[in-house]
Amino acid sequence: MLNKTIVKLAIPLAVGALALTGCGGGSGSDGDTLKIAFQGPLSGDNVALGENMQNGVKLAIDQANAKGELDVKLEYVAGDDQGLPDKATAAAQKLIDDPGIVAVVGPAFSGATNTASPLYAESGLVTVSPSATNPTLTDPKNKFTSLLRGVPNDNQQGAAMATYFAKKLNAKKVYLLDDKTDYGAGLAGVAEEGLKAAGIEVVKKSVPQKTPDYSATAKDVVNSKADALIYAGYYQDAAPLAKKLKEAGYKGAAISGDGVNDAKFIELSGDASENWLLTCPCTDATVEAGTKAFSADYQKAFNRAPGTYSAEAYDITNMIIEQIKTMKGDVQREALRDALAKASYKGLTKTFSFDENGEFKGTDVYLYQVKGGKIAYQGNVNELVG
Amino acid sequence: MSLQEFWDYLVLGVMLGSLYAVIAIGYTLVYGVLQLLNFAHSEVFMLGAYGSLIVLQFVSPADNPSALASIGYVALAMAGSALFGGVTAYGLEKVAYRPLRRRGAPRLIFLITAIGASFFLYNLAGKLFGRDPMTLPEMYDNHNVLTIFGAGVNVTQLLQFATAVVMMICLDLLVNRTKLGKGIRAVAQDAEVASLMGVDIDRVISRTFVIGGVMGGVAGFLFANLNQASYTMGFIPGITAFAAAVVGGIGNIRGAMAGGILIGIVETMTVPLLGDQWRSVSAMVVLILVLMFRPMGILGERVGRAA
Repeated sequence: MLNKTIVKLAIPLAVGALALTGCGGGSGSDGDTLKIAFQGPLSGDNVALGENMQNGVKLAIDQANAKGELDVKLEYVAGDDQGLPDKATAAAQKLIDDPGIVAVVGPAFSGATNTASPLYAESGLVTVSPSATNPTLTDPKNKFTSLLRGVPNDNQQGAAMATYFAKKLNAKKVYLLDDKTDYGAGLAGVAEEGLKAAGIEVVKKSVPQKTPDYSATAKDVVNSKADALIYAGYYQDAAPLAKKLKEAGYKGAAISGDGVNDAKFIELSGDASENWLLTCPCTDATVEAGTKAFSADYQKAFNRAPGTYSAEAYDITNMIIEQIKTMKGDVQREALRDALAKASYKGLTKTFSFDENGEFKGTDVYLYQVKGGKIAYQGNVNELVG
Repeated sequence: MSLQEFWDYLVLGVMLGSLYAVIAIGYTLVYGVLQLLNFAHSEVFMLGAYGSLIVLQFVSPADNPSALASIGYVALAMAGSALFGGVTAYGLEKVAYRPLRRRGAPRLIFLITAIGASFFLYNLAGKLFGRDPMTLPEMYDNHNVLTIFGAGVNVTQLLQFATAVVMMICLDLLVNRTKLGKGIRAVAQDAEVASLMGVDIDRVISRTFVIGGVMGGVAGFLFANLNQASYTMGFIPGITAFAAAVVGGIGNIRGAMAGGILIGIVETMTVPLLGDQWRSVSAMVVLILVLMFRPMGILGERVGRAA
């Protein structure tokens, strides 16, 4: 009885939804406002990462409105996918169905990008992700035609770690630890290949995010007698791991990627983070004058320092705004997508341009090391190993 | 695994297990008197951690404090966490559960309320304290103080284990030797009859929540001291401790202690044997095995009967 009622209700609803999907594409600017959306985790466990980027997007939009160089007003729309692949499709559909939206910054996470991108591809609504680094996303077989990746993928970082260990540290045995996320597992996979190719013994383990106690893990690292460690994950977990490693008496080298390259890592782990090596596809933004102004503006607007990928999200939003500016009021989704795919934009963090699959152009990975409680810039990995 | 490694992991496991045991007691106590699975207990634990953090930010420990100062900081932090934990648990009972009890709501409604309260509390904490994890400031020089079977034990671990043991002994004495304890056992055995015998049920239940809350709060502090504090920190330890409570026999205080230690050891031993990713799996496998062969848990079910 109940089931029948649900079916009766569901059919017209489904039809309606399909009809709505149909009118999603092709619409563009109407009137005086254009909307730029962000899709990422704005509630749930990973909200901190989403908020970092959302604030970057908001700041860029507010500044553009304040400058008044555009003949339209820009508006921000939030698309919350909680960072989860299964929530991402609904979040994407909601953004696609809003005809005022001309571009999306995001999706933030690789898993969510994977499920949402077919919908965006169909609608012609462009998405530029500041942070989805899983290498497979830009595979042309996926036909994610609306996806532009605003960040070098994990292949570069993983390979750079392996090269550095092999050539610079002469490591014999490496303990490779990932956090079981798309990001961590992808990064670890690439690093493992590189290490094995260089003839280095690898102990590969996974430790899920939010493991309550890293004491046993640290003990295991020490007992393995590895002379170097790679942690592929985020700073929230790298910090307690670093502390426990120090307590367990680990003396070897430790390296991690852009997920850990954040001042928060040092704040959370204290002196246990000393001498940790960190790779990042980004050059040192803090020394550049432009980024300093950004940091100050960000601090003023949100009462906190910019976090991981805040500046990248800000850059990407500005890149979109610049294209909107050149289009002079007549902004269509497909036209904007094609213009962005061909564009080259020099942002605060790096220069953004894309190859024919939407992959980020540029492969340079930079090395940092924690020294005296600061993340100190070391230089380009390829140049360091000579 | 060499014998020395075995001892290393065993010691780590017992340390972690002692924390699970303290949290598990919170579940078990409330289940004992109300037959309620208080899933918001993990948030009591989380808020306890923030309680100690707030106190410590207030006193802001100096660098390289003297031994006496260190003890003072730890005591203050612990008091802060106990206060937060106790008040949260008290408020929870007052706001979320008591009105339901008055209206004689079905048990399922309690369960859903507990889950709702948990969601509310951790999102509130996220709003209030920020979504980024935080660490407690250093209160003492954390060095190895003693060696058990060749495994080094540092100040943090010793503090954690000693506090857990002291709390458990106090609770055991309280439940078995005092008038309040008698009341708790009476309500657990048969609330209606207990009220006919002159036990003020509301008061007993409320105090039971506070006791569980204080212990949960202090466990939160110990956990944050070991690891770090974040608004989602309660979830995984909460679920694990709940499993520990069921393994030991839900409603049975000594059972919760035994279950906590057992789960702690199993989880830690899993790391070298199977790898980190199997930690939670192995804890739940223990739960399932115990429930298959002893559905009432290792030590049996109720506060009244077994303790």
